[in-house]
Amino acid sequence: MTAVYKVSYVVRGGTHPGAILNEEKRPQVGQRVKLGAQEFEVVEVVDLMPARGDFSFLHVTLQSPKK
Amino acid sequence: MNLPEILSQVELFEGLNRDELENIASICKEQSFRSGDVVTRQGETGDQLFVIWDGLVEVVHEEAPHDPAPRTVVNLGQGQVFGEMALVDYGPRSATIRVISDRATVQAIQRDAFMELCESQTHLGYVVMRNIAADLSFKLRHQHLVGR
Repeated sequence: MTAVYKVSYVVRGGTHPGAILNEEKRPQVGQRVKLGAQEFEVVEVVDLMPARGDFSFLHVTLQSPKK
Repeated sequence: MNLPEILSQVELFEGLNRDELENIASICKEQSFRSGDVVTRQGETGDQLFVIWDGLVEVVHEEAPHDPAPRTVVNLGQGQVFGEMALVDYGPRSATIRVISDRATVQAIQRDAFMELCESQTHLGYVVMRNIAADLSFKLRHQHLVGR
């Protein structure tokens, strides 16, 4: 089985409630991420708790992309 | 990919062997929804747990005396679980779940069939209950980080 990254996305500023999603790849700082129709930029990636089996648990902070 | 293989990519079932995944698959019922559909409503009685197969839902806390406007607390996507609180504590639904993607597909698991499996197959029951606890812990950690 391939790795699964369970990600807690929190959006800095604004009113977006954030999201919890499974991802196939570990998010990287600077990467763009779409939550529904909105796009954000990754500013921080932290391991939230130790991996278990094929699952890694991450916390990712997002912000609106700089124009 | 067949249903047991797909279930193996859901954290709730991490640690189950092939036979156990097939037993879980046998009690899953697929349900499809469209944007705006309500899957569960806060305050109602619930006896199903849901695994999101595809799509995105929002978790909404309806108005309360101390919180007069409905508030979306988080969005959940593929592989995530909802309805687990009412499943294990038999209480009313703690939030309304509404589909916000064009379409969403979930696997619904009935409490009676689920509890019967957990009680008759103790390894399966232990692993799934541990994973439900871990999932609730993850959601709590997420909430602690919102508005940090």
